[in-house]
Amino acid sequence: MIAPPPCPALELRAVSKFYGDFPAVRELSFAVPTGCIFGFLGPNGAGKTTSLRMILDILRPTSGTLSVLGSPSVAAVRDRVGYLPEEKGLYKKMRAWSVIAYFATLKGMPAALAKRRAYELLERHGLGQFSEARTEALSKGMSQKVQVLASVAHDPELVILDEPFSGLDPVNQGVLEELVQDLKARGRTVIFSTHVMQHAERLCDRLLVLARGQKCFEGSVDDARRVLTPKVQLTTDHDPAPLRALPEVRRVAATGPGAWEIDLHPGVDPQSVLANCFRLNLPLRSFAVLQPSLHDVFVHLVGPEARQAGR
Amino acid sequence: MRRTFLIAQREFLENVKTKGFWLGILFFPVILVASAMLPGFIARKATSTRNYVIADFSGRYEAVLVAAINARDRSRIDPTSPQRRRFQQLPLHAEIASGTNVAALEARLRTQLLAGGSNRLFAAFIIPADFGPGRTNAIRYWCANQADTDLRDLVERTLRTDFRRQEYGRLGLDPRVVEQTEALRVPLIDLNPNKAAGTERVGLADQLNQWAPSVFVYLLWVSIFAVSQMLLNSVIEEKSNRLIEVLLSSVTPGQFMMGKLTGIAAVGWVMLASWLGSLFAVAYWQTQGMAAPAGAGSGVGELPRAIVGLLQSSWLLPAFGFYFLCGYVLYAAIFLTIGSLCNTIKEAQNFMGPMMMVLMFPLFLMPFIPRDPNGPLASVVSWIPLYTPFVMMNRVAAHPPLWQVLGTTLVLLGFIALVLWGCGRIFRIAILRTGQPPRVRELLRWLGRSSG
Repeated sequence: MIAPPPCPALELRAVSKFYGDFPAVRELSFAVPTGCIFGFLGPNGAGKTTSLRMILDILRPTSGTLSVLGSPSVAAVRDRVGYLPEEKGLYKKMRAWSVIAYFATLKGMPAALAKRRAYELLERHGLGQFSEARTEALSKGMSQKVQVLASVAHDPELVILDEPFSGLDPVNQGVLEELVQDLKARGRTVIFSTHVMQHAERLCDRLLVLARGQKCFEGSVDDARRVLTPKVQLTTDHDPAPLRALPEVRRVAATGPGAWEIDLHPGVDPQSVLANCFRLNLPLRSFAVLQPSLHDVFVHLVGPEARQAGR
Repeated sequence: MRRTFLIAQREFLENVKTKGFWLGILFFPVILVASAMLPGFIARKATSTRNYVIADFSGRYEAVLVAAINARDRSRIDPTSPQRRRFQQLPLHAEIASGTNVAALEARLRTQLLAGGSNRLFAAFIIPADFGPGRTNAIRYWCANQADTDLRDLVERTLRTDFRRQEYGRLGLDPRVVEQTEALRVPLIDLNPNKAAGTERVGLADQLNQWAPSVFVYLLWVSIFAVSQMLLNSVIEEKSNRLIEVLLSSVTPGQFMMGKLTGIAAVGWVMLASWLGSLFAVAYWQTQGMAAPAGAGSGVGELPRAIVGLLQSSWLLPAFGFYFLCGYVLYAAIFLTIGSLCNTIKEAQNFMGPMMMVLMFPLFLMPFIPRDPNGPLASVVSWIPLYTPFVMMNRVAAHPPLWQVLGTTLVLLGFIALVLWGCGRIFRIAILRTGQPPRVRELLRWLGRSSG
């Protein structure tokens, strides 16, 4: 385990990136604590990849400053950072082990150690028998696994994964989730971008939602859930019409025979609905509070922008 | 520096480890030799036997002609098929003996000349009765193929010689005296004022030294073109496979570009070293072989000795090394940038058209520069940096003025620095770009931009 340094693993301060007049990222500020899994969420075209490229010094910000592992530029700490880009590829004629070893040596690992590590990683992740195969002979899932392994082979302190789950089948998505959790368990910081909320929900300690180049939300998954008021789901053999008249209720909708879903106004305690059911003598067969999913929060936060970007 | 080396190392190893690379190295000289020998080989193998008839109404020339044709055939008969002859006479004596007139004979021959089959008649020579020196009657040569004039030319040459001999006899000249006279040669010694006193005589080695630069220019062209293509393909592979982003998270665009240039330059060196090393080894082995029978030194052994001497002592090799490096960096940087602008080889071909035209120009100049290496054409073109490596290499043996050597080198190095700067600027922006290649105006804007 690495002793956590006092500074965050990554910090952006008012970072902007313009392509001509087009603002890809605007005044983006956030910090990623060391040792956490940080989700970078946003719809297509939100500025996620541009932000990650700026963090990696592949693109220069138009304005603002950033700090990576305590350094004002990633250039000084390149060897301590691992990166898996959104669009993935491999050298077709190279062997699986040699691709991993090559990228590890580019990150400063001695060649002999990199080779040993490549074989070890392939073996550990079920690709041992394909170590000597040329990458053009690997399936898409295997290739993607090799790329992920290449990005972490040099044991980086900060791992940045851009859409790591795209193109993977559910089994391999699970394998990748395990790998991310393993990195966290070893004190590494992982930042990954995605627009699949289930992964973020399962993995992230903290997350940031980006839309049209601007930050919409930053906090924990629980904080995100609190953005939306929970819903109430109840089943009753009677008409719940009296509940519609309550000031805390926004909407009552039928979801099946005798099943109803109640939207509440922000800040309302769902327990007050239960109290009112008793007060109005409404017999219930069941009563449940539905916490909003990250998907609901995401759609709530970026829905209009995403629809506009998708047009 | 270490990262640049690693990029270069991968680039080098991935190319030299392939079978295709070594096959290419092996086949280039083979193709070169084959292209020189193939036309003759094809002419011998693919041309069918030419059947001919001679209707000699004079009764005087047939034997002379047949002897000359057979003599030539003997010297060129294909050793692998001794039965096959280049020219085969078909008999015609019966018609002539029976007193057939020319018109009737020609009518019969015409049918034979147009007939197909393996025994078809190729040509017919009708020699009139009143034919000879000073007479106006001409030989009538019938042949449907007007492109292959070998037989016609041979007959014409043979008869010309025979006519001259007849004339010498008529004029009362002794044929032996005539032969001796025709055998006279002009004694001429080639001397070169550039050589040290006492050694001015021009030998095979000097001629080789004079023409070797042209060979080196050709090698320069082939190697620069081959390795620049490798570079182009490799960048397009990295760009289309989206590897570039991973690489740029580990190295700077400058390190990446320099690594690729260095790696492929090393590939080029291996290619050239293989060719020149093989040439040296073969020539050296030949000279060793010649040394065994003492005194047999001249003649066949002279060329290998001259080649070994040239490669060992001449400063052509260092000059070649320098101009290869300059030419390579110049063109490779341009090809690398073209690669960074394109996502597919097809897109790159649009840029390659104009580049190929630029690259072909030195090849057109190659026959002219050695004839007048310090003339106005060579001197002017030497100052165009895109052509300096080729033209100056071609002039090396002629000792161009020092100020021209230094001046063109300085201009070339300055131009290379400018190209590297410009290509570097475009490269770092283009390499991450997807979609259509940019327009010229956009490229110019990138040159003014400080970073991505």
